[in-house]
Amino acid sequence: MERYWNKDIECMPREEMKKLQDERLAAQVKHVYENVKYYRGKMDEMGVKPEDIRSTEDLHKLPFLSKADLRETYPYGMLAKPLSDCVRIHSTSGTTGKRVVAFYTQNDVDMWSECCARAITAAGGTNEDVVHVAYGYGLFTGGMGLHDGSHKVGCLTLPMSSGNTDRQIQFMRDLHSTILCCTPSYAAYIGETIRDMGLTPDDLDLKAGIFGAEPWTEEMRRSIEQSLGIKAFDIYGLTESSGPGVAFECCEQNGMHINEDNFIPEIIDPDTGEVLPEGEVGELVFTSITKEAFPLLRYRTRDLCVLSRKKCSCGRTLIKMAKPMGRSDDMLIIRGVNVFPSQIETVLIEQGYSPNYLIEVDRVNNTDTLDINVEMNPDQLSDKIKDMQDQEHKLAEAMKLMLGINPKVHLVSPKSITRSEGKAVRVIDKRRLIDFPKK
Amino acid sequence: MSNVKQISVFLENKPNQLTGVMKLIKKSGINVRALSIADTKDFGILRMITNDTDKTCDVLREAAYPVKVTEIIAISIPDAPGQLSRVLDTLGEQDVNLEYLYAFTGTSDKAVSFVLRVDDADKASAVLTDAGIIQLTENDIADL
Ligand SMILES: [Zn+2]
Repeated sequence: MERYWNKDIECMPREEMKKLQDERLAAQVKHVYENVKYYRGKMDEMGVKPEDIRSTEDLHKLPFLSKADLRETYPYGMLAKPLSDCVRIHSTSGTTGKRVVAFYTQNDVDMWSECCARAITAAGGTNEDVVHVAYGYGLFTGGMGLHDGSHKVGCLTLPMSSGNTDRQIQFMRDLHSTILCCTPSYAAYIGETIRDMGLTPDDLDLKAGIFGAEPWTEEMRRSIEQSLGIKAFDIYGLTESSGPGVAFECCEQNGMHINEDNFIPEIIDPDTGEVLPEGEVGELVFTSITKEAFPLLRYRTRDLCVLSRKKCSCGRTLIKMAKPMGRSDDMLIIRGVNVFPSQIETVLIEQGYSPNYLIEVDRVNNTDTLDINVEMNPDQLSDKIKDMQDQEHKLAEAMKLMLGINPKVHLVSPKSITRSEGKAVRVIDKRRLIDFPKK
Repeated sequence: MSNVKQISVFLENKPNQLTGVMKLIKKSGINVRALSIADTKDFGILRMITNDTDKTCDVLREAAYPVKVTEIIAISIPDAPGQLSRVLDTLGEQDVNLEYLYAFTGTSDKAVSFVLRVDDADKASAVLTDAGIIQLTENDIADL
């Protein structure tokens, strides 16, 4: 029997949901127009008035927002409520340029934890569960998001934060954690550590995992599921729209249901900005229709994916988004070919290698080079150099089939590539250093 | 059965990789009897025979080195012209494929010792015995 946290919303007939969205959208646009000068300026520039937006059909009339807008308006420019009404701040990791900070009222925090509660329930969580939150706590939304969701469901919550893997595993065993929440790369690392300690999934009580905050592949899912003896669920979100829980996976493990009562998704052509019909691949755009403090309208996520309204066996009527194929930001263009790190991960797992890898892209004599460092598989060690070189060649061939370009594969020692406890760093693009204008 | 166990270790092509392994072995009181390294741009394979194969493997695996044990043939032949090619010819005539070989310090200064890695160790061993070529056992090597 499928369990829901909020059946009325999660299984609401489409027409009813559409009506709810229309009402909330119209009110939200008015709220933003009146309180966010920056967005009002954008709307005025396009000649759009709040009255023009009566339903989701009018959404396309609104201007887009991008990360660049958020940087430009840092820190208070997108705020739609007085600071005295706000209770929380979170921030993106901001590896490049300025960070983005997002503000939350108490209602915003409640909405977010409601979304996470739905995700935990869909993963089989009840108040009988021990939820082990190994996402980072702090400015990063992962930790606090799942933490609050777990509280809402009434689970026993272990606020582990990330790092100190030996202690994670000890607590997991001593306190019988049943649901693990962290990034997929950290889950894979925990699985690896458990094996190295001579333990098996039978030594743990885990039954499910909720993993997000970075792209991961189906192959990685199977590998984590095996190493931890769990069912692994995907969760999607971004700081700009609240955090994890914008969309969550159900038992079907085939796409994530978007919490449409709070977020309206669109898929657009990333080049023209034109809205694409359901089923086409494009950039995911979200409009927050309930957020009070930091309500982003038509925010471009840079994530490439597909939406589907096909009936889901879990009974939820919420629209589903496919696992993002990668951020358009993560996409590398090498010798004119689009390469996603996730493709490389897929090949590695298929060929029996660890999904820890490091890509180095460089430009030599005006030609892009792609080098992939892969941790050798100790079970495949041979005393014959030729066998080892064959392994490199075979991997390079498989990569070429997947990517369409010829990489150089280098075998390195097992565990020599730094493990990540948060978001993994997989790509070093040395071309960027070259392309920067020199002063 | 006179086949001898050789230990192979995966080493990255980075400074101090070999030193690291050798230090570990020395600290554990293990004696290395034969050693060779084959390498590529990316990595090297260290091959060695020690006086205690199991202990060597344990020590290296403990330190997270990828390790593999293979059976090789060790021979001792007179230190004279034409002796090695006689061995190679003998193997070749019987269709035994030689993957690689390396020399090591043997029992006397009138003889040289070689490690032979062949595709079929049992067959090679029989062929060499028939040809009257002396093969070293693990005990012979441990006693060196
Ligand atoms: Zn479903």
